[in-house]
Order: sequence, then C-alpha cells, then structure tokens
Amino acid sequence: MNPILEQIYATIIPSAPYVIAAYALMWAALCVFVVFALSRLKRTEAQLAVLESTLASRQDDLTDQIRKQ
Amino acid sequence: MAKDLDKKLAVGQGLDRYASAVGLIGALLSTLGFILAFVLAAPVNGASVDGVEMIGGQMVSNQLLFSQKIFYFHMPAAVTSMVALAFTAWFGIRFLTTRDARYDLRAKLATEIALLFIIMTMFSGEMWERFEWGVWWTWEPRLTTYFILMLLVFAYFILRTAVDEPERRATYASVFGIITFIDVPICFMITRLIPSSVHPVVFRTDSGLSPDMLVPLLLSMFGMFCIAFALYRLRLRTETMAQEVDAIKREIDE
Amino acid sequence: MNKPSTFQQYVTLLRKDLQREFRTKDMLSSMGIYALLVLVVYGAALSQTARQFDVLQMSGGLLWALIVFTSLLGLNRSFSHEKENGCLEGIMLVPLDRSVVFLAKATSNLLFLLVVEVVVLPLFYFFFLTTTQPASTWPMLLLPLLVGTIGIAGIGTLLSTITVNTRGKDVLLAVLFIPLVYPLLYACVSATTVVVAGGDIEGVYLNALLLAAGYDVIMVLLSWVLYDFVVSA
Repeated sequence: MNPILEQIYATIIPSAPYVIAAYALMWAALCVFVVFALSRLKRTEAQLAVLESTLASRQDDLTDQIRKQ
Repeated sequence: MAKDLDKKLAVGQGLDRYASAVGLIGALLSTLGFILAFVLAAPVNGASVDGVEMIGGQMVSNQLLFSQKIFYFHMPAAVTSMVALAFTAWFGIRFLTTRDARYDLRAKLATEIALLFIIMTMFSGEMWERFEWGVWWTWEPRLTTYFILMLLVFAYFILRTAVDEPERRATYASVFGIITFIDVPICFMITRLIPSSVHPVVFRTDSGLSPDMLVPLLLSMFGMFCIAFALYRLRLRTETMAQEVDAIKREIDE
Repeated sequence: MNKPSTFQQYVTLLRKDLQREFRTKDMLSSMGIYALLVLVVYGAALSQTARQFDVLQMSGGLLWALIVFTSLLGLNRSFSHEKENGCLEGIMLVPLDRSVVFLAKATSNLLFLLVVEVVVLPLFYFFFLTTTQPASTWPMLLLPLLVGTIGIAGIGTLLSTITVNTRGKDVLLAVLFIPLVYPLLYACVSATTVVVAGGDIEGVYLNALLLAAGYDVIMVLLSWVLYDFVVSA
C-alpha cells in the first residue's frame, strides 16, 4: 500500500477495539435491564399465582363448611 | 373525571397489546441502523493527510475515522434518555395537579428507563472519548453534562428511598424530576458556551449530516424509542401487578 | 382588620429570621468558623505546591468551593431549628401564600451567605494571595459573587425544605444540591478567575455572568413556583 493510503487508514485498526467495546457495553447494559425487568415480572406473577390459589382454597373451605351445615 | 383518568391510565390492555410488537420493531430498526452505520454511511474525515488518493471514485485527503461510528448509537441513546426524562417531568407535573399516585409510579419507571439510556450514553461516550483524546476522562461539555445528569438521576432514586410516606415521597420526587429536566439543557449550554481553559471545545469541521449518515442515525433513534417504550410498558405492567398483589395480601390479612 | 399585604408578610417573616440571628448569632458564627476551617484545610492541601504554582489561577475555584461547602452547612441549619421548634407548622397555619415563605427564607439565607462571604474574602486573600499580584480588575468579582449566591440561596432553600423531612438530611442535601448547582458554579468560577488572574476579560466575563444570571432567573422562578407543593407536603 502506498504511504498516503496507509496514513488515510491509519486510525482504523487502533480504533476498532473501542468501537466494538462501545457497542458491546451498550448492548450489555440493555440486556442487564431486560433480565432485571423479566425477573421482576416472573416474581410478581409467581406471587399473584400463590395468592390466587390461597384465595381459591379459602373459597373451597368456605363452601365446604356451608355444605356441611 | 376519575373515570376518564382510569381509562387513560389503564394497564394491561390498549397500549400493552402493542408493547411487545413495538419492542420487536425497535430491535429490528436499531439493528438495521447499526448495520447501515457501517455499510451505508461514509466515514468521516479526520486530520488531513499530506497527499491525495482516489478511493471509491472520490478524492480523499484526510484520515478516515472509524471511531465516529460510535456516534450512530451514542446520540440516539442520549436523545432517548432526554425523552424519558421529559416524561418523568410530565408525569411529575400531572401528579402535582391531580395527586393520583399512578402518575408517580409512571414517573419512577420513566426515570428507570432514563437511567438505562444514560448509562448506555456514558459507556459509548467514554469509549469514544478514550480513543479520540487518549485519556479516560476530560471535563468536556458532553461527558460532563451526562455525568451530572447521571448524578441527578441517582439523586432522584436516593431521594425516593429517603422518604417514607408515599404522598410526600411522590411530591418531592415530582418536584425534583421537574427541576432535573430543566437543569440538564442549562448545564449543557453553559459548559458548551464557556470554554474550559483545560480542554478546548471540539468543534467538528464537517458537522453537517449527509443523507447517508442521517438514515442509520434516524433508524437507530426510532429503534431505541420503540425499545424504550416497550421496556417501560413491561415495567409498568409488572409494577401494577405488584400493587394488586399487595392489595390482595392486605385483604387476606384482614 | 385587613389582611397584611404580601410585602408586609414578607418583611415580617424576614425580620423574624434576622432578629433570631442577631440575638443568637448562631448561624453566622458557625458558618464563619466553618469557612475558616476550610481555609485551614486548603492550607494543608496547598502546602506542597512549589513556587511556580499559579495560585491566582486556582483562586476562583478554591473560593467557590469554599462558598458551596459553607452554604450547604448554612442551608441545613436554617431549616433545622424551624423544624425543632415547630415554627414551620405555625407558619403553615397562617393563611398566606406559601411563596412568600420561600422568598423570606431565600432572602435570609442570601443575606447570611453574603455576610459570610464578605468576611471570608479578605481572609482568603490574607492566607493565600499576599505573595501574588491579583489583576487590577479584581473588584469585578463582586458581581459574580452576588449572582452566584442568589442562585445558591434560591435553589438551596427549595432543596433544604425537601431534605429537612427526610432521613439523612445533610448528606441528601449535598446529593441533591451539588449536581443541580454545577452549571452555576462553573459559570461563576470562570467569571471570578478571569477577573482575579487576568485574561480575556471582555469575552469571558460578560458571557459567564449573563449565563449565570440566566440560570438564576430560571431556577429561582422554578423554585418559587414549586415551593408551595413542597412546603405543604
């Protein structure tokens, strides 16, 4: 490669790791947040399911009691 | 009046049906923007070179910068974070006028999204800065303003944890959110208009955006808006569900 | 009996604060001693600097750092005694426009800060600048001092009203206050340094002063408007 072309392209290789790092870090931050949001969702849904089953079993107990009388 | 508010603030139907679709669109758009940033957009000129070469049918007499490609994600992230902060301020105003706690919840979640995009902006800005100036930190307008903004958002969350009563916490948070949103443009302008004697403000010589650079930029920006929106609705759905869980728990304990 | 005018209410509230201060000299003395102690810390911090160190160039920054730290102390204390004695609840019972409370509080904070600054300035010169020759334009620093202190008092009064009701009051005030006040600080340091150390006065001084004044107008107005919500919470 003639020297002028070398000069023109001189900064590309040294900058590549930084460009890659920039995009990778951004994507990583996004993923961390998505994981956080989804884990919160799962936990809340699980709590809701537990509560609903508790309510349902209480209803069943009540109807059983009424039937017995 | 309350009924209108209920309809407006409803979660679970309406906007949420589209939320996951919008999220996917956002991912697609930003990926497209990312690819085009490298394929379509022309590299930006850097320092001049002593000589001229013919590359791809054009006379090139400057170094071609690859590091500028970071810009195509860096700026959309910055803009998205400001939009999210605008929503924080808006929800804050709505809370102060209506005293409806649902607005405070939305303000908190909008600030979470803003924090995410601020961190993304800082990561990319940091990498760009490191390469361009060769140092890990300078007190230049962009980095400084974003650092201060990050501190302000941290302060918002610290303030929220420091107050126990919900009504008071919401009031203080709304006020602080509004002040933060107004402070950021002021900070940016002041640091840009008063040159620091340590590091000169960098004014790019070719600051115009040609169409081939505009396309990936806009694609990435709209993509990020969509992603931010989808994430916000996801968090909103989760937190509203968590509030229902708490309400049911209280009922059961009675 | 007619309701006293807004201005009379303002004067009454302001006079209450000033009279309290004249009697006890509590805040002024603590702020003054604190400023002196910060100067002592500066002495240790700068003790290893060689002859070539241009303390004149750094003096603007050092001075404003001192002012920020002292105002944090002053703002915290100005509200804590109100809360201890239940004054704030008493004031809230009176049917007045809450913004008047803000103006009175902000003015008293401003006055106390200005008094401390007037005392600290010659002390600062005495401790650090007698070996140097400040530029002849140094009296011009009084203007950025005033503009900056107005901004600090305005936004600081709003923030200290918020933090007085929270856990970790002092630290929280610093956490909220410093990032918000950063642009003002930056502008004032720039204006002060250029008139003390000499330099491109024309361009920088007026520019920085106008920007600081713009910050003041926007932030004090905002604090005024939002104060009602904060103090009624």
